[in-house]
Amino acid sequence: MGVLLPVGTRKGLFLLRSDDDRENWDVEGPLLPGWGVYHAIVDPRDGVLYAASNNPVYGATVHRSSDLGQNWERAEEIGLPEESELKLLAAWHVEPGQDSELWLGADPGLLFRSDDGGVTWTVNRALLEHPTRERWQPGAGGMCTHSIQLLDDAMYVAISAAGSFRSDDGGDSWTPINRNVAAEFMPDPYPEVGQCVHKLLVHPQRPERLWQQNHCGVYRSDDRGDTWERLDGNGLPSGFGFGLALDPADPDVAYVIPEESQERHYTSDGRLGVYRTSDGGASWELAASGLPDRAWAAVLREGFAFDGTGLYFGTQGGSVWASPQGGGEWIEAARDLPPILSVEAAAA
Amino acid sequence: MDRSGAGPAADPLGRSRRRLSVAVVHLPAILAAEAGGQKRFDVGARTVGEALRELPVRNLVLDEAGQLRRLVNVYVDGVDVRGRGLLEVPLRDDSEVRIIGAVAGG
Repeated sequence: MGVLLPVGTRKGLFLLRSDDDRENWDVEGPLLPGWGVYHAIVDPRDGVLYAASNNPVYGATVHRSSDLGQNWERAEEIGLPEESELKLLAAWHVEPGQDSELWLGADPGLLFRSDDGGVTWTVNRALLEHPTRERWQPGAGGMCTHSIQLLDDAMYVAISAAGSFRSDDGGDSWTPINRNVAAEFMPDPYPEVGQCVHKLLVHPQRPERLWQQNHCGVYRSDDRGDTWERLDGNGLPSGFGFGLALDPADPDVAYVIPEESQERHYTSDGRLGVYRTSDGGASWELAASGLPDRAWAAVLREGFAFDGTGLYFGTQGGSVWASPQGGGEWIEAARDLPPILSVEAAAA
Repeated sequence: MDRSGAGPAADPLGRSRRRLSVAVVHLPAILAAEAGGQKRFDVGARTVGEALRELPVRNLVLDEAGQLRRLVNVYVDGVDVRGRGLLEVPLRDDSEVRIIGAVAGG
């Protein structure tokens, strides 16, 4: 089966297509020119393409296309209550839901739900009015709700820099799940909230297992986020990074792309290195065959994807790299795109 | 049938019943793309605010509170209208309203 990569960039959306071999790629775009596409995804339920789009002048919105980018519609309303003093600053992540609903993560620390295919969006009150909100603070990318994970009996969101939260009641309440997760930039390095999580993923085959790439390390939880184990060291050159990918067939496999440090947002050791663990994070090995070994690249939090067959990531330098066999040889699928903000993978 | 009252009824409060002016609003390319490719709109409006609220891209020009977004500039007949009352600036027939995004970013 072929693959379609929606690649969000600072200057619009690109669609990369390949057939089953994932070695030859066609590039279409830019779509939505003028919009910074922080995240784009094809809804597996109906094939509709969604983009979390932002413009420095005209604000934040969600675009949708039923014909893979030929025609677009725009959200009519992404509503905040009148009494709220917050304003929508950026749209960050669209997540197709369990039933017919859609979810949108946004800055500042907001979660929205749509039940009409993305035309109107209603804010999640429990997160908007969370009792710990006054202790949240924006990271360098804003106070973005960037990770949304939906299970039958639980929902998870992660916000920079507020931390990770779980809801066991469909979003009516949210419990901070940040125990043992460091916030070394805070006076109390292990606070209840305020952690700068960069990406949170739940393993689809083992839903009690969560992984996160954090500002302060790589972590795994085997109890739905109640406690976390720090996993960096043991082969990782740095605990800092943004992108995270999981192997949907193997809960012990994860991939990260470490960066030098929080002050140096480029890949560690002067090379473009993907690191893989196959033992739940106890050890890590470099999986970078074909990637440049003299490079100071950066991959953002939405910029790494795995569709079960191939791994894909995009750099701020505008290159998309693909590993058709999931961590074996890497090939450059596209180059010289605008700075890449997001990569997703869909069957095509 | 008595047709003597076919004209506009007198306003009981004595206000003038000024008809809507028809102004022309020009959109920049990125907003025109969001409006199905249409760059120019004839809108019936008494004020700048009414004209902007008539547009299919109103939620890109105005924020959640109905205020002009901070980096959106509006010119009426070549004059940059700014400040607290800009949405109440009156329009006349054939007023030309141009929406121009601030030059920003890279």
